[in-house]
Formats: sequence, structure tokens, C-alpha cells
Amino acid sequence: MVATLERRAAPAVRRRGSPMRRRQARTAFAFLAPALVFFALLFFYPLGNEFVTSLFAGTRADQFAGLGNYTRAFGDGQIRHAFAVTLQYGLGALVLSVVLGLALAVILNQKLRGRAVFRGILLVPYLTSIAIVGLLWRNILDPQVGILNRLLVTAGLPEQQWLGDHPLATLIGITVWQQTGYVTVLFLAGLQGIPDLYYEAAAVDGASVWRRFRHVTLPLLAPTTLFVSIIGVISSLQEFALPYLVTGGGPAGATDLFVFRVYQTSFSFRDFGYASALSYLLLIVILVLSVVQLKVGQRNAT
Amino acid sequence: MDTSLSRRGLLRAGATAALAAPLLAACGRTPAADTADGDKTFTLYWNAGHGYDAYAKVVKKFEADHGITVNWQKFQWPDLQTKLTADMQAGTVPDLVEDDGSGWPITYATSGDALALDDFIAKDGEKVGFPHDWQDNALRNVQYKGKTYGVPLHLTCNLLFYNKTMFADAGLRAAPSTWDEFLSAARKLTHGRQYGVALNSDFGYAPPWILQNGAKYWDPASRQAMTPAGKATEALAFQHDLIHRYKVSPVPVASSDYEGPEKLFVANRAAMMLSGPWDFAPIKQAAPKLDFGLALPLSHTTRATNFAGSGVFIPAKARHPDLAWDLITRLTALDVELAATAETGMTMPRKSWADSAKVKADPLVGAVAKALAYGQSWPNGVAATGKATQLSDAWKSAYESTILSNGGAAKAVDGFRAAAAKLVGG
Repeated sequence: MVATLERRAAPAVRRRGSPMRRRQARTAFAFLAPALVFFALLFFYPLGNEFVTSLFAGTRADQFAGLGNYTRAFGDGQIRHAFAVTLQYGLGALVLSVVLGLALAVILNQKLRGRAVFRGILLVPYLTSIAIVGLLWRNILDPQVGILNRLLVTAGLPEQQWLGDHPLATLIGITVWQQTGYVTVLFLAGLQGIPDLYYEAAAVDGASVWRRFRHVTLPLLAPTTLFVSIIGVISSLQEFALPYLVTGGGPAGATDLFVFRVYQTSFSFRDFGYASALSYLLLIVILVLSVVQLKVGQRNAT
Repeated sequence: MDTSLSRRGLLRAGATAALAAPLLAACGRTPAADTADGDKTFTLYWNAGHGYDAYAKVVKKFEADHGITVNWQKFQWPDLQTKLTADMQAGTVPDLVEDDGSGWPITYATSGDALALDDFIAKDGEKVGFPHDWQDNALRNVQYKGKTYGVPLHLTCNLLFYNKTMFADAGLRAAPSTWDEFLSAARKLTHGRQYGVALNSDFGYAPPWILQNGAKYWDPASRQAMTPAGKATEALAFQHDLIHRYKVSPVPVASSDYEGPEKLFVANRAAMMLSGPWDFAPIKQAAPKLDFGLALPLSHTTRATNFAGSGVFIPAKARHPDLAWDLITRLTALDVELAATAETGMTMPRKSWADSAKVKADPLVGAVAKALAYGQSWPNGVAATGKATQLSDAWKSAYESTILSNGGAAKAVDGFRAAAAKLVGG
């Protein structure tokens, strides 16, 4: 036993002292340096600076407030409202994107004519700038001058007023429209990584299509589902462009997503310290949710 | 080949890059702010819709006279506000800014970020006619604690636009003058897919109604918002009823723009709308043959409307305040005002402009000039509280809850007043 440990330890000592190893390390650092500098200057430095700002109050963020901005957030009704709206938005967008994306991936995984073209078309919304997506849907859905109502009237159907009656659901729908293609491609990659062997074995055992999907496809897609969920939650909680472009956060705060509220707090109210604290609170929420999702996903995989 | 040398070189290059990066980053700031004395760039922030030829000529002459380059940046109002706020925070400000007329100069004055113009006015005021040639109410949103922080550039107001053809078809011989006449006309004009009026989703179009019922958005003496509350509630309820009870206006939807009514007006889908001279050019462009007229602001307990428009102010840390003042005097000269009016129909704050024969002879511009006599300041000095934007956000929510979401007017006004009391006391 002792001899084995010594045998294992010896090469490690040699590796640390090896000039070749040191040169390799230097080379690695040299290649990493641009990325390290980039992240240090444009990510970690602003992040640190933002934390410092979060400890100050006033239009110039020059009055020390300690953790006052953080405690203020918990008693702020508008912030609680914005957070609740954001959770509803995130949950709705995530669940619908995953369900639709998975369904489309399963369909596109079949040997259908023209599926390559269809896969390409599905990705177009995801590749389109969010500014264009926002303006496009605002013009489509406008109850008075929008294209959709004109089509509905032509078809003899009642007009829609979704932006007025269900503004948050409408934003969720736009997000799902944009994200589903990307989710589909991820699930498709996951599906193509499942060996046919499992399906053949299940078929031999007499499993129905549903049971094969339930007991073979879904469990083996768990890592993909986990990835999609984490990415989906992060992007949903950080959504800003749609309320800014489509609804202006209204009506009466119905689409007042958290990051939109942070934007208002900083650039309309000039309360940079408070806005920085709100951003940090969101970062903590995202980290916690991501870790929880990761743990749950890993447990399920096990 | 000896590669160790090149690796060292690579490391050196990486280290050099790391050291150079902050310097390079510093070089990326606003040109006006990062040069020492002798800076030949003048930064001007402007509204994207106000880049008139009349102003472009002034800027060109200004550049030639001073041997300077004007970095003329144009934005929509919200983007201009965002950019300016970030600049103020970073200390890299432009030399001159066009503001949206809601009181930005006062808002920035309260935090020490706007330059008082009194020394310039003492020196040049008599010569350029400021402030004595400006309409008194136009100055309401530029003065704070006895000092002047901005100069009004445009002076407009909300008034009633009506489609003359639709009125004739409905047998209506004159534009409405009171709320009752307005409602009666709107009912006659509503049929099929045509509405009598199109109210705006933008809460900035509500002030005429509130003022016409004798209420104020802000009363500096009592430090109360939306007072008297009963009058404000009645005015908000009237707008609500036009949409949700009488159904003479479509339900506006939450949007980040204010163009909905104008689109319906030019498409012959709405017979009336509230707007101002900023819509003359878009209407002319979209429907050149549309036969429309302008009526005086409506009357209920009083005939009133709110002033709108824009102004200019100099940030406290501007690099070229003297040049900025010089450009202000050029942009607000009477001949430039008249040229801008001839070009776009925009209305102006000088008394001598309103007295001009050209203005009086123009049916549209002349109508606005007449309506300005009924103008009141909507912010009414609220910017001096330093909480104008928070109040505005609360009022937006109250307006939308009633007009867009069919909620109760009393609840909205009470909620807004409570939020205002929490923000500014009173």
C-alpha cells in the first residue's frame, strides 16, 4: 500500500519540477491571458464596481447606505410585484418552450420529407434580433391597425385584444415563438444521441410508443432538459427587451418585468445604488435557482 | 526552431495588452470629454424628430464661425434620457442637450448637474430677447430657486384634431367646444369600424381633460398631487367612459409609442384625436389629402390644455458652456423659429413669433398659436421635488389601470395620490 502511494506520488513531484511542464503552463496562461483580461475588465471589474455602488444612495450614488438598498428592496411593493410578474413570465415561457420544443423535436426526428428545411425555418425566430421580434409582434397584434385582426375579420372571426386583455400571456407567447426553435434543436441533438438499441429492446418487450417515450426517451433526455431549463430560467429572469419594446411595462405594471424595473430605477429615477442592489439580488436568485435545478437534475439522473 | 522565445514574446504581448486595455478603454469615451484644452468637438444631443433643415443650417454656420465640429447625436426621447443619465453618472456629458419640456433642466439642477444660465442672460438677454420675448408660462419648467437653467425651444399644446369630411357626412357643422358637445359628436361619428375619437395609450395625452375640469397634476403650495381629487377623478372617469361605456373610442393597448390615434386618424378610422403640431408632418406624409381642422381646447369648468414642447439646457460639466450658449441664441433666433415653422409646422415660444403675420396666416399653425393662450403647465414645478420621474411612473400606472384596463377612476386617483404623498409628502 505504501509502495503504491509512493509510486503515485513520485511522478507528481517530477511534473511540478519539469521545465517542460512549466513552459506548457506559461503557454497555456499566454493563450488564456486575453480571455482573462477581457473578463476581468469587462465582467468582474464592473461586477465588483456594481457591488460597491449598491452600498450607496442618491442620484450620484455618493451617500453610503450600507445594506440599506438591499433591505429596502424587501419592503418595496413595486419590486415584489415585478418579481412575481417575472416568475410567472419565466415559468410560462419555460414550460411552454420545453413542451413545444420537445414535441417538435420528436416529430422532426422522424424520417420526414423536407425536415432539414423545416429545422432551418424553426431557427429563424431565434436568429432574429429581439428588437425586430418586438416591433414585428407589436404591429401584428395591434387591435386596431394590426395584421392579425384584419385576417380574423376577413375570415369572419372575432377580433383579438390580447395585448390589452392578456398582456403577460402575450409576451410569454412571443417568447415561446422565438425560443422554441432553439429548444427544438437542442432536443433534436439529444434525441439523436439515444442509441436505437434501447428502442429496439423496448419494442421486443412489447412496449407501446407512449411507454417507449415515457421510459426511454424522457429519462435519456434528462441532461438536455436540465440544460434547457437552466438556460431558459436565466434568460427569462433577465428579459428586458419585450416589455421595453412592446408594452412599455404596462398596462398598469402587468408586464413590469424585474430587469425592466431595474432599468427604470437607474435610468428614469437615477437611483443607481438601489438599481445595483436589485441587480445583485437577481443574480443571487438566478444562482440559487440554477444550483437547485442542477441538484434536482443530477438526483433524477442518478 | 526555438519556440521558447516566441512564447516569452507572447507572454510579453499579453502583459502589454493587459496594461494597454485600460488606456484603450479610456480612449473610447465621449470625444468632447476626453480631450484637453483646444478641444475642437462640440457634442449636441437632440431629439430624432427635430433635426430640421433650419437647425442643420444653424449648426453648419456655427461650425464654420468657431472652427469646431459639432457631434450632433439624435435620439428618441427615452433613449436620450437613458444616454444622458448614464453620461451624468460617468461625468462625460455633452455640451448642449434638447430636453422634452417636462422639466429636465430643473430635475438636473436639483442634483447640481445643470448649469445656471443667469450670467449669460445678464450679458446677452436683452439682445436676444430672453426671457422677455418668451411666453411667460413657457418658462415654468426651466426656473428653479430663482435661477434659470434652460431655454424653451418649441412651445406646443394638445388640441383637438377633427376630420372635416367625416363631420360633414355626419351633419356636424362645427367642431365641439365643450365636453357635452364632444361626446354628442363622438356618438354621431361612431359607426361600423369608424370611431368618433381615438384616445391615446400614452398617459401624456390625459392632461387637457384634467386641466379642463379645474384639477392640477401638482400644486406646489399644498405639495399635493392630482388636486382637487374629485375633479381629477371626474376627468379620468370621463375618458374612461368614452372608451368603456359609450364605446366611441377604441380601447388603447399598452405600448411604448403614442402613434396609435394618429394611425387611425389618417386611415379614416377615427374622426377626432388629441394631438399637437408634432403630428402635422406625419399626417401630411401619410395622408396628404386628408381634410382636417384644429379646434380650440375643449372646455368643461374651464377651457384649458397643457403646454408641451421642448427646450435646451447646458450640463454643469459641459466642456464648452460659452459655445453652448452661443448655439442656444442662434437656434432660438426669431428667423430660425420662423424657418422651422415654415418647414415643419412646429410652434414656438417667442411672443414675436406668435405675432408674426406668417404665423397668423397659416390655418394650422395659427390655430395652435391661438390655443396656446389656454395653455397651462402640467408639471407645474413638480421637477423641483426631485421625484418627478417617480411621480410620472405612478401616474402612468394609474392612467393605464383606468383607461387601458377598465379599472375605476376613483381608485386610480386615490392610489396615485397616496403614492405621491409617500414620495414627496404633502
